[in-house]
Amino acid sequence: MRANFIFSEVWIGLRRNLTMTIAVIVTVAVGMALLGVGLMINSQVSKLTGFWSDKVELSVYLCTKGSPFEPCKNRGAVTPEEKGTLEQTIKALPDVERVQFENQAQAFKNFQSTESNTLLLSVTKPEDMPESFRVKLKDPEKAAAVASSLKGQPGVSNVVNERDLLQSVFGFMDTLRNVALGIAILMVIAATLLIGNTVRLSAYNRRRETGIMRLVGASNIYIQLPFVLEGLIAGLIGGVLSGVILIIVKVFIFESIQTYMAAPLGWDTVAGVITGTMAVGVLICVLASFVTLRRYLRV
Amino acid sequence: MIHFDNVTKVYANQNRPALDHVSVDVDKGEFVFLVGPSGSGKSTFLRLVLKEERPNSGSIHVAGKDLSKLSNFKVPHLRRRIGCVFQDFRLLPNKNVYENVAFALEVIGKPRRFIRKVVPEVIELVGLEGKAHRMPEELSGGEQQRVAMARAFVNRPMILLADEPTGNIDPATSIGIMKVLDRINRTGTTVLMATHDAAIVDSMRKRVVELEDGKIVRDQSRGVYGQAY
Repeated sequence: MRANFIFSEVWIGLRRNLTMTIAVIVTVAVGMALLGVGLMINSQVSKLTGFWSDKVELSVYLCTKGSPFEPCKNRGAVTPEEKGTLEQTIKALPDVERVQFENQAQAFKNFQSTESNTLLLSVTKPEDMPESFRVKLKDPEKAAAVASSLKGQPGVSNVVNERDLLQSVFGFMDTLRNVALGIAILMVIAATLLIGNTVRLSAYNRRRETGIMRLVGASNIYIQLPFVLEGLIAGLIGGVLSGVILIIVKVFIFESIQTYMAAPLGWDTVAGVITGTMAVGVLICVLASFVTLRRYLRV
Repeated sequence: MIHFDNVTKVYANQNRPALDHVSVDVDKGEFVFLVGPSGSGKSTFLRLVLKEERPNSGSIHVAGKDLSKLSNFKVPHLRRRIGCVFQDFRLLPNKNVYENVAFALEVIGKPRRFIRKVVPEVIELVGLEGKAHRMPEELSGGEQQRVAMARAFVNRPMILLADEPTGNIDPATSIGIMKVLDRINRTGTTVLMATHDAAIVDSMRKRVVELEDGKIVRDQSRGVYGQAY
């Protein structure tokens, strides 16, 4: 095997088909970058899901004086007896891990720290805040059943599953991921076809050389290797570009939304995603070259 | 060296066989002319020797190997023992004489030291000394064919196949080409040459195998092109 001979052939091939090679590189870069973004969103969502499912609780809000909720109408604030029985009822449920009571003062403090609307802050008094039981479940999946069993209890104004609030955020990220992956799949198909075309052109351009190589008894590997290497190099350059794009996406997009994300995406995940997408890109290129060669370069 | 036993070859979509129950034996070191009109099966014969085509029936042995038992993987090794020359030369236009000849050795992975040694020897053998750095377009047809012969012979094949090597060359130059083929033959290489050129066949007085409609109609040692002419 003469390495410099093979590489000079590869170089000639890439130069002769420069525009096609650039098309392959760009397609692979964009396709793999989108695949990578999809994977990054995916791991961000699963990280967030893991983070929140530890924290998510049911909030069982109790009636205050003049509460507008339906179960509280025609009655006053919750009485201490009702609170006592309610706490016993909740504790008796098999799916409940622990219960915490939040009084009006604590609720007001939480409200002050999270609410940014100054007008609303200035008119809200601690007496307006509802008292609540914070219920931590053994299995977050049971939330709906527990919630419905607690809704009818006397003194309960409303039961909120915090998970439902997060679900809309997760739903948005899921959509984002699916769009990225969908486009990535289309790009991968486009890249495969482009590579096939490039290799076919390359084989046609060099049919004289390959014809003579066949005739003088060059082995199949020797004839095919330059073409496969062309695909591999184009795939590799595209993969490196997609890696650069993914790093930019991580720095400028994922870092900037990190303030809202309790569980940030680490560089180790990004490195894994880049390695994976590069491997996929190179693999696609090599396979596409090989399959096309079988068809257009009969040895 | 080349042994055809009852070989028949029918191409797809054709009802008439290109070769029809052909049996021939060519010994080591022989010089054989394959003559006959266009479409008589000469090229098919050569393609079968190279295993570019497979016969429908019959068996072919080349250089001691049964081609039907030769795996595709080993076909390149068979072709390394067979040199080929064509009517249209088939040189690489962007390589000079030396590089065209060296190409045949590079692609079968010969070491550079070996290439540097044998390529000038072969260029001299075909009578192109001093023209190693010319490009094919700067050479006459006869000279280009000499380059092609140098390339075919540089790996010292056991068999040289020539498919109408003088077809594109004027009669005077053809004599030079034939002298080179004769020189190659004298090194012990078996030469099988398909041709239309009656004058050349008559002047060489070698074995002649005549094909017509895929059948052997004559096999004569020290023959001429056609008895009728």
